[in-house]
Amino acid sequence: MLELIGITKRYDGVTAVDSLSLLVEPGGIFGLLGPNGAGKTTTIRMIMGVIEPDEGEVRVFGEPFNERIKDSIGYLPEERGLYRKMKVLDHLVFLGEIKGVPAKVARARGRKWLERLDLGGWADKTIESLSKGMQQKVQFISTVLHEPKLVLLDEPFTGLDPINTESFKEIIEELQHDGRAVVLSTHVMEQVEKLCKRICLINKGRKILEGPLADIKMQFGRNVVTLRFSGDPAYLERHPGVERVGTFGQELTVTLAAGTDTNLFLRHALEGGKVEKFEIGEISLHDIFIAKVKSEGGEAKDEAAQGR
Amino acid sequence: MKLLKVAKREYLDRVRKKSFLIATILGPVLMAGWILVPGLLMKNAPEGRAALAVVDLTGALYAGFEASLDDTLPDGSKMFVLRNAPATAEGLDGAKKELSAEVEAGAIEGYIVFPPDMVEKGTATYFGKKVSNIRTLERIENAINETVVAKRLSVQGLEYAKVTEMLKRVKVETVQVLKGGEKAGGFEQTFMTSFVFIMILYMTILLWGIAVQRSIIEEKNNRVIEVLLSSLKPFDLMAGKIAGVGAVGLTQYAIWGIFAVGISSYALASGQFAQFVSFEPVTIAFFVLFFVLGFLFYSTMFAGIGAICNTDQEAQQLQTPISMCLMVTFLIPLAVMQNPDGTFSTVLSLIPFFAPILMFMRINILMPPAWQIALSVAIMLASIYIAGVLSAKIFRVGILMYGKRPDLREVFKWLKRA
Repeated sequence: MLELIGITKRYDGVTAVDSLSLLVEPGGIFGLLGPNGAGKTTTIRMIMGVIEPDEGEVRVFGEPFNERIKDSIGYLPEERGLYRKMKVLDHLVFLGEIKGVPAKVARARGRKWLERLDLGGWADKTIESLSKGMQQKVQFISTVLHEPKLVLLDEPFTGLDPINTESFKEIIEELQHDGRAVVLSTHVMEQVEKLCKRICLINKGRKILEGPLADIKMQFGRNVVTLRFSGDPAYLERHPGVERVGTFGQELTVTLAAGTDTNLFLRHALEGGKVEKFEIGEISLHDIFIAKVKSEGGEAKDEAAQGR
Repeated sequence: MKLLKVAKREYLDRVRKKSFLIATILGPVLMAGWILVPGLLMKNAPEGRAALAVVDLTGALYAGFEASLDDTLPDGSKMFVLRNAPATAEGLDGAKKELSAEVEAGAIEGYIVFPPDMVEKGTATYFGKKVSNIRTLERIENAINETVVAKRLSVQGLEYAKVTEMLKRVKVETVQVLKGGEKAGGFEQTFMTSFVFIMILYMTILLWGIAVQRSIIEEKNNRVIEVLLSSLKPFDLMAGKIAGVGAVGLTQYAIWGIFAVGISSYALASGQFAQFVSFEPVTIAFFVLFFVLGFLFYSTMFAGIGAICNTDQEAQQLQTPISMCLMVTFLIPLAVMQNPDGTFSTVLSLIPFFAPILMFMRINILMPPAWQIALSVAIMLASIYIAGVLSAKIFRVGILMYGKRPDLREVFKWLKRA
């Protein structure tokens, strides 16, 4: 569906995106994550052909980027923008038309979408008379009006109240059916956790993590155990899989090496004292994100130090 | 064609604006006012009957003056009602006092004093409350002149009527020789027509060219641009905008054309200002052609400027040299007018920056050889193409740059790379 092959973009000597490769399959929501300034928006702009990569290639639907495929992509830019003086429905029709949708069809679909997002009564009002949230909805409609096969959403939830956030999520979930692909770029992890099947974490223009969300969680999440233990914490450390034991109030946080069997560790603990609580931690994406970005930042510094 | 959708939106957006309606309607109204109102004011200035007193100290001119001042009102009655107010040189001050009181009271409009040596010295004095009514004073002055000149002539034994007959000026009529015919009215008319037309050309090319630039900057600022570029080629966006704005310009012309036909038919009917407003269809055809060429050339460059600027103020600095080219063209025509087929005029009218106005001007004054017109149009088309390609390149790179405006060196770098 969408393939990035080693794309690189530099601005004035700063590398915004550094040989990034990605594969997005049809069906499913792909999360493109990263802190502010990681290169998410630049990446999306390159996918959209709004800017060209300095190196590498973007392939959409199996072909190199070209003008024709723009009609099959929907793009919600991070910086929203509409013609303030235009009427809502006219605006949607215009944006549909430049995506190759006949005016009549665009008008009918626009009406349907406005009804669905509770904007039915605003079709003939000008954009500037709408609230920020309403404008956001109109912009969102324009992203999907032409029924694109690939939808790119750059921070779609900013500025939305909880109710609208829910209805957006619902629509985004619907979008992935019929073999469509959705790429969701954001730094808000909770949304990604609920929506995305696969994620890619980028920092400083480089990919630091990619794969199915479940696998990533498995890899990170199954090795933190919280327990309340009457025995000596030092005893626990004798188990070969234990990397670190931390104290957190009454409880102990035990970090296990990847691949350690938690059942064997529990048996080990039971032999050393009374176990009142034993919980295998589900690490949140948020924690993975912070841990990864922090360690990346550290590595980057180390490299710089070595360079000197 | 996505280009057309952009053009359509731009066109409708502008044509529906109130400001377009106002500018389009006010433009010709102002222009018509400029041409017609002074004439109408002069023609229809309310002139009523004026009572005047004459103090004739020469003692010999009153009768002649009264005969000369024979203007009539539209109803056929005399415009000036004269009264002889006899006085001596010694009693003049007293007489003036009385007459001034009459003027103050409004009994008479004013009074004229003919000094004793008026025939020799040639001066008289008008006393009145309103000394600003130029036409009335002009009539009075003419009548006094006639009276005095007739007096002087009769002293020499000559008859006024005969002398004026002999001194009658020869009128030279100007007729322009055109292919297969003659065009009466000649050069004054040509000058006026050309001047009005190049003025309109200059203003509309500049106005609409800058409108393209501003609209691009506006779209950068409200960030619509990103959505647009995700749907169409930068070239389609640029060309669509130019086409849309150009169509608005042509619409305005069409509306003005209708006005012009109305005004000129009125003017022709009234017979007053015919020389200012008559023009031929071929003039209109060339006018539209050169507007389109000039607008395309200049607006393409303005579009490139718009793409690399974030505010109108920033754009103004870059836009000035280009506007100057157009402005200079507006100043050259006088030279061209004097020698429309000289080398100077010919060369300048082929340079794309000047061609739209100067070639149109030459066509208007003295039809240049067809090959020159064709060459000028061809050069214009080629220049538009080159400007379009360059601007599109600048547009493509510059349109998504926010923040610092790139300097010229950077722009050249883009041109080389793109």
